Amino acid sequence: MTPPPAESVAAMIRPTPATPESPTNRDVMRVFMERPGLGWLLLVGLCLAGLAGGAATWIYQIYKGLGIAGYSHPIFWGAYIVTFVFWVGIAHAGTLISAILFLFRAKWRNAINRSAEAMTIFAVFTAQLFLGIHVGRIWKAYFILPYPNQRALWVNFKSPLLWDTFAISTYTLISLIFFYVGLVPDLAIARDRTTGWRKVLYGALALGWQGTSRQWKAHNRTVLHLSGLATPLVLSVHSVVSWDFAMALVPGWHATIFAPYFVAGAIFSGFAMVLTVMIPVRRIFGLEHILTDYHFENMTRFLLLTSTIVGYAYGIEYFIAWYSGVEAEKTSFYLRAFGPYWISTWCMLIFNGVVPQLFWFKRLRTHVPTIFVICTLINIGMWFERYVIIITGLSREFNPAVWGHYTPHPFELMIVAGSFSFFSILFLIFLKLFPVIPISEVKELVIHERAHAGHGKHAEAH
Amino acid sequence: MPTLVGIFDTPNGVAEAVARLKGRGFSKLEVYSPAPFEEIELAVDPKPSKVRIFTLVGGLLGVVTGYALTIWMSLDWPIVIGGKPFASIPPYTVIAFELTILFGGIFTLIGLLAVGRLPAIKLDPGYSARFSGEEFGVAVEVSERDVAEVDGLLRSHAAKEVTLVAA
Repeated sequence: MTPPPAESVAAMIRPTPATPESPTNRDVMRVFMERPGLGWLLLVGLCLAGLAGGAATWIYQIYKGLGIAGYSHPIFWGAYIVTFVFWVGIAHAGTLISAILFLFRAKWRNAINRSAEAMTIFAVFTAQLFLGIHVGRIWKAYFILPYPNQRALWVNFKSPLLWDTFAISTYTLISLIFFYVGLVPDLAIARDRTTGWRKVLYGALALGWQGTSRQWKAHNRTVLHLSGLATPLVLSVHSVVSWDFAMALVPGWHATIFAPYFVAGAIFSGFAMVLTVMIPVRRIFGLEHILTDYHFENMTRFLLLTSTIVGYAYGIEYFIAWYSGVEAEKTSFYLRAFGPYWISTWCMLIFNGVVPQLFWFKRLRTHVPTIFVICTLINIGMWFERYVIIITGLSREFNPAVWGHYTPHPFELMIVAGSFSFFSILFLIFLKLFPVIPISEVKELVIHERAHAGHGKHAEAH
Repeated sequence: MPTLVGIFDTPNGVAEAVARLKGRGFSKLEVYSPAPFEEIELAVDPKPSKVRIFTLVGGLLGVVTGYALTIWMSLDWPIVIGGKPFASIPPYTVIAFELTILFGGIFTLIGLLAVGRLPAIKLDPGYSARFSGEEFGVAVEVSERDVAEVDGLLRSHAAKEVTLVAA
């Protein structure tokens, strides 16, 4: 421990006895201060390889043009848009956990909110890559922003694609602010306990935070207000993404249920991804006493709820297709399940609607390997959900003469795989650079408990 | 003026000491704590934080900007799209909503920095790494002749040690 600065001053009434380090600090700091192990290095290496593959393919695509993708008329929204929507969906868990559960005073979120927020940011970054990849002429991507230009020509604010630009950019910035504000007190903890480049980095990022009562009060207010702002935001972002589809007249897209359906799906996939990542992380870094089975069980309850909503939406889509009596709508939905894309459709229905229903059983909710397997299936199922919506929708529009078929080209899949590497690499670096558990928030509970247990004199934190 | 720093183990002890110090007229004090505690905040300053004003101003600025931006740009180069009016409120509400959140959030962050006096280049002389552990500190600025009194006062409220920091 760094000696307290008070020691350096001239006059002291009494010598300072050494104080034991806070166990919470020690546990969490260990995760990011320890030298990276072999497993971490191997994973980073693997991800770098995947990233290199994806990046090289993208560069090749920029050089050759979008023709290298598997697009064929009338399907020009393919794996890139599917993966874009997938990553935006993943990005919803973090803000939900930190904002909505904060407003509901669900204290159990403390153990997971930092990692979930980090995943949110990395998932939004990954999603934004796909906007650049999908538009093809990346050097003209700034056309989507309203910027003053010589032709005095402005963007079309009536287009849902532009709403999306605003929604995603806002979401990125607000998530980043939220993440950073929560991190500042923990960075100060790290600053006080490190040396060398880490001290410089944490010192700069901690902004001179000292935990004065004035700072804490402002911090509490800030978190409250950011939660209040982020709650409608998180619900709006995937609604806006869904309107990219719902505003078009394509059969299978033009439905009012899309916004809530997409939001539930986003929370569903986001929680599944958080669990898929945090189960191995907890095991590797030995965080079982902070991130307990209780936290995992609470998250599986969310999965159960959102799976039921998503399953209901699947059912209602089919019901409305039949009930509306619209020929194109009926055909589109019939061909989803029994047409050329039946595998994707049944993956989506079973992995998202049926398998998570196993969480009704407490024994399965608390069995960590089962949770891990089901969450992985959900991740796959949710990717296929977007694939089904986008590809079957576009391939079976009104006029059978212009029906088409699309299969993702290996180049597209290389880029999709690269995006998973990009996300993982950011998360792996995060694990070794920042506290994965919000130390101050956990400490607040620890000190509270201690104060109630024995008024602080004798009771230890553990 | 010298500063006395009392070190505490519990938020209750801090709150009581602060209330007592303020009652005796020693109001130049700073409390350092490892986490936020309501009792400390109430004892130090019960008024709500001014961050809320920043959020309000930011949000209002955002909604105005959102509508102004979209409506002005649509009228600056009028093109009929989908048979809708140039200044078409329902679609622009989406933009106005997003900008309300964006500006509100950015202003809230500015509010935190302004109210919390961040970023600070130097840490206070009374600050110690122990306060980012699990201990609390109450730093009181006192004149030379009051040192003994404040020292006794802090100790009588369960301060486990008191340090004198030269000004």
